[in-house]
Amino acid sequence: MSGSDSTIAATSAGDTASPRRRERWLEFKKPIPTWELILLGLIVWVLFFGIWKLATAVGWAPPFLLPAPDAVAMTLYELFASRGFLMDVLVSVYRIIVSFAAACLIAVPLGILMGSFSRIEALFNPLVSAWRYLPAPSFIPLLLMWFGTDDTSKLALLFIGVVWFLMTLVMDHTKAVKTEVIQTALTLGANRWQVLRTVIVPAVMPNVVITMRQMLAAAWTYLVIAEIMAATDGIGAMMMRAKRFIHADEIMAGIVMIGVLGLLFDYLFRVLERILFSYQEET
Amino acid sequence: MAALQQAARKSEAPLKLVASDVRKEFSLRKGEKITAVEKMSFEVRENEMCVLLGPSGCGKSTVLKIVAGLEMPTSGSMRLDGREIVAPGRERGMVFQAYTSFPWLTVRQNVEYGLRINGMGAKERRERAEYYIDLVHLSKFRDVYPKQLSGGMKQRVAIARTLANEPALLLMDEPFGALDAETRWHMQEFMIEILESSKITVLMVTHDIDEALFLADHIVFMSTHPGTKREDLWTDFKNGVRIRDKEEILGMDGYRDMETKILRMMREESLLKKQLA
Repeated sequence: MSGSDSTIAATSAGDTASPRRRERWLEFKKPIPTWELILLGLIVWVLFFGIWKLATAVGWAPPFLLPAPDAVAMTLYELFASRGFLMDVLVSVYRIIVSFAAACLIAVPLGILMGSFSRIEALFNPLVSAWRYLPAPSFIPLLLMWFGTDDTSKLALLFIGVVWFLMTLVMDHTKAVKTEVIQTALTLGANRWQVLRTVIVPAVMPNVVITMRQMLAAAWTYLVIAEIMAATDGIGAMMMRAKRFIHADEIMAGIVMIGVLGLLFDYLFRVLERILFSYQEET
Repeated sequence: MAALQQAARKSEAPLKLVASDVRKEFSLRKGEKITAVEKMSFEVRENEMCVLLGPSGCGKSTVLKIVAGLEMPTSGSMRLDGREIVAPGRERGMVFQAYTSFPWLTVRQNVEYGLRINGMGAKERRERAEYYIDLVHLSKFRDVYPKQLSGGMKQRVAIARTLANEPALLLMDEPFGALDAETRWHMQEFMIEILESSKITVLMVTHDIDEALFLADHIVFMSTHPGTKREDLWTDFKNGVRIRDKEEILGMDGYRDMETKILRMMREESLLKKQLA
């Protein structure tokens, strides 16, 4: 009681000019201006590289285990300029594209059918769920036995690692398509095939592309695993070679390269989303 | 009450939709069955605006879904122009409460959708779409995507899309339920306009008494547990004229009486529900 009394007294006694509430630095869900967005993003990178550089300059870590960021950048340039790293990068990108495309070709249609028809879901889902829980790398020995160390084993690992998740996610997104939208099409005279083609597929596509973008990140993980285990070319293979000769700078250059490629692919997908689905309501 | 019922007069138009002794059971998970609708018989005549009115849970939406062919009755029959309804079809287009305009299509493409999937040529369907877009006052927005439209405009797209298909019977499931009060009122007046200009038979579900009285020629009042027809009411106080503005209808002789009667029935139904619960 006395507490609230004193508060009232304090406010009336205080500045009568403008009792406006000041905006604080952290406000829930408040959007920020673009310049601040860029600045904050840069700050964190400057800090990251700064601490890294400092650590190597002061000598906290020996340079052969933790090379300085500028040394890594130099190595990356050298790898491209004189040691044919571009081929490794292209081989990796090729593997990603081929196996990810194959996974999408299977997972997207099947996921849409599973999400549309309960019977197809009942048929496939027990299998898909079980496979989803198996860690893909556990198949590496088998894949090596079956396909040897050539490209097929790597493509297969990527495929196994991605396809089940993709299928489940596409199924869930398809299930979320509003029943009324489907029923509307039916009462307008559409048959089942027309509903699938002209309603469900376009309705679920934006989410399918988002899912593809997210799963592509997982595909990169499996790619590196596949190339590290047994490969003569590709980014992962280069990193394993570098490890043998204790070239930490080359390993780190490889990691940086994967990061850059990941960002690039992510960006491309976002551009694609923006172009294809510009009609969508912002959420 | 009895006097009102006696004064109620059916239109002389031929029968369009006939429900006879419709029963619908749903099976629950544990093998139990629940009867949503039973002994449901009613008739809708040509060019009639018929409203299914009743408390929530009376099965009025289920009845509408059966008419649409989206649900099958457990027993009984539902006939349109004498033919048994067995599947959804373009002659029974439905407008839902939820927004159903396809976001990836422009307004014009939305309105053309039914015509396109039914194989109408590009030129003809464009002309037809044009006409119905005009009818719902969206000409300025014909090349716009639904995200740029307000809720009321989205519902007008849905109505135009269904009308463009020229269905024998227009079905509406609480089409204005998601709209704010002002827009709903505009849409109700707009519905009268549509009814007058396109001479169409409509079966609409609502729980809004005002809306039913304003729009309906014929009200089928339903009761709960299980859902069935309680009474047919005809809005004879309008003397066969559909009134375009709401203020006018509120002042008409007979409006209050009918509203009071329906409110009383609603109250009885909710008391009954409470007792059963």
